[in-house]
Amino acid sequence: MYLKHSCHKTKKESLCTAKVRSHGLPYLGQRFKGRQAEKDLNSPSTHPYTLVENHLNGITCRIKQDLKAIDHELLHVSEYYFDGQGKLFRPMLIMLMAKAANFHETQMDRLLASQEKIAMIAEMIHTASLMHDDVIDAADSRRGKPSINQVWGQRKAIIGGDFVMAMASIELARIRNEDVVSVVAQITEDLVRGEFMQLGSKEREEERFTHYLNKSFKKTASLLANSCKAVAILGQCDEGVAEVAFEYGKNIGISFQLIDDLLDFTSCDHVMGKPTAADLKLGLATAPVLFAAKKYPELNAMIMRRFTEEGDVETARQLVAKSDGVAETRELAQNHSREAVRQIHTLTNSKYTTALERVADMVLSRNK
Amino acid sequence: MQVRKTFIGISRLLSYIRVAHTQNARCFVSWNQPKTSDWKKAVSEAEKIVGYPTSFMSLRCLLSDELANVALQVRKLVGTKHPLLKTARGFLDNGKHSLQTRGLMILLISKAAGAKSENMENVDHSADEMVSGIYPSQRQLAEITEMINTANLVHRGVVNLDTLKDTDGSLKDMEFGNKIAVLSGDFLLTSASTGLAELRNTKVVELVSMAIGDMMSAEFTSLRDRNGQGVLPEGVTFSCWERQTFLQSGSLLSRGCRSAMELAGHNEQVQMAAEEFGKNIAYARQMNEDLLPFANLGVDPNGILSSAPVIRYAEVHGPQSIDTFSGHEKIIATIIRDNETIEWCKEKCRDYGRKAITALDSFEPSEAKSALVNIVQATTAFKPVKS
Repeated sequence: MYLKHSCHKTKKESLCTAKVRSHGLPYLGQRFKGRQAEKDLNSPSTHPYTLVENHLNGITCRIKQDLKAIDHELLHVSEYYFDGQGKLFRPMLIMLMAKAANFHETQMDRLLASQEKIAMIAEMIHTASLMHDDVIDAADSRRGKPSINQVWGQRKAIIGGDFVMAMASIELARIRNEDVVSVVAQITEDLVRGEFMQLGSKEREEERFTHYLNKSFKKTASLLANSCKAVAILGQCDEGVAEVAFEYGKNIGISFQLIDDLLDFTSCDHVMGKPTAADLKLGLATAPVLFAAKKYPELNAMIMRRFTEEGDVETARQLVAKSDGVAETRELAQNHSREAVRQIHTLTNSKYTTALERVADMVLSRNK
Repeated sequence: MQVRKTFIGISRLLSYIRVAHTQNARCFVSWNQPKTSDWKKAVSEAEKIVGYPTSFMSLRCLLSDELANVALQVRKLVGTKHPLLKTARGFLDNGKHSLQTRGLMILLISKAAGAKSENMENVDHSADEMVSGIYPSQRQLAEITEMINTANLVHRGVVNLDTLKDTDGSLKDMEFGNKIAVLSGDFLLTSASTGLAELRNTKVVELVSMAIGDMMSAEFTSLRDRNGQGVLPEGVTFSCWERQTFLQSGSLLSRGCRSAMELAGHNEQVQMAAEEFGKNIAYARQMNEDLLPFANLGVDPNGILSSAPVIRYAEVHGPQSIDTFSGHEKIIATIIRDNETIEWCKEKCRDYGRKAITALDSFEPSEAKSALVNIVQATTAFKPVKS
């Protein structure tokens, strides 16, 4: 059951008077006068990446322009992971949401410069957190090349990450919207709290799953949820729409993380670009393990000691394989994707809302 | 309950802590070198003027679950040589006014600048009331700058694992110490971010973020090689020292002072004056600290190669005139023999002091303004340090 907003709601102020902050003018696009967007989910015209291709092209270059490093080495450190090898999943999703929200609000096909900025900022924040993650996890490699700490040492990796974060904050401030600053600041808080949650573990089994989902929200979903909310705010949408955007981002994020955790058990090294069973080796109990522990309680002791004893990792892997852990994780991911789709159905139909539905599906079917 | 647990954990921690070996030498503006009695008096008077000991700033941060967690984790580091132990000690060891002077300056200049200006369309203070002549937003800003400074210190204590010596301790300890250092620094930085967001002023967010960017850049522009050893490049000039000092400490203090003015809605002229003050007092403070090893040979001379006197000497006589491989004592002796360098540095320090005081000219006379002037004078007076 879903709400359908009627197409004859009053059009918001025209492009000329629309309040666009700081940089640039909104992109001028075509106007859809009541034409139903194509519902064909397999049509190339609703392919998520293709729909925002123009904006995604060169986004890495534009991010690099915002990394105003005064020193060569700092420039190389901060640019290291902006090498075009990332999937740009987050910017793609955020820009799609922006377009969908804009269309819902104005029936116009456009992307504001400020919204594109949010997509860039989200990618910068994400990358900065990767730089810190590599040090925390003592990673050797990422995306098929040596990790940043391998190349420059731990110290410069950390400080480089802080620098990228600071540059993102400067760009955020320049959008000149205090609400959006608060929403994005929430992301950084959640990221760190998520890491802290990972340090500790719950002793009681009932609490573990909630703890895991909460941590997954903070570490992965918060970025998407709050970025989507931010672009909705910038699109002059009301609170209801901002909430829908948030919920969509949140559910996609959790689904994404669940599949990520699942792939850690099912995939092998050369597909992922990073070694697998990585989570177990880091002492982390993710959804497949938590589900498996219901059938094999001996896993609980291993979870408590964070798989540190000899043979723990291998035993846990085997038990998960024997149990329904992977299947149950996939089912949970599907539920979250479904919820995301349900949320998006409350917005006015467009090729962007269709594309966002496809994203919910893409997240489930990825193999890396 | 949580508060009590935090305090018990921390006081136990303090009793176990030993000062650990710092792998990478000098802390720019650690500001915990031996102080003159003038300085102590100036700071103590100033704290009365702003309404409370600024050492409280460290306590508020401690009252969080995350940092209680960190305190427990840091205990595991006792007995290792991870730099985080030393930083934690400095951070927890309140009552020495050592790490909080930044915040104190910002509070003082806020008070000295006085109440919000009449031109107020873009500033809404309806919910704000001054306490001891300072707005709550300005107090929050002062705390935020301290948090940022501490975060930077903590992150600079992250150890490069591939250059560990046997004497540094086990790899596992250092890895663990790094992890905790990264997380606590991150926590402090995001607390600063959310605090900034609460101020509802994007100009301030921009200014402070630029300061953070500068502080991080300083790590890369410092005159050091990958192992933290000082280097004196060909053609090094005194302006290198100024730039490095600005990035490392001047930026945060100058932009912090300016932001405090912005929060009260003061005009561009007042903002620039505050910025000028912050910058020059930072230079003066750093110069004062750099001169200490040359006056009092008992002071830790770590990082001597990046100190102002050495750089000035190298500028005048060429970098090859300093034998970077000889011990610190020899370098210090070389410079002391050349009295000109030391005198030049002292005069430079006094010059920064004059500029700082001049920047305050447009401020009305007040207790707070006098306190600032006293602090400047205590920083730029060169009397023998009592041991």
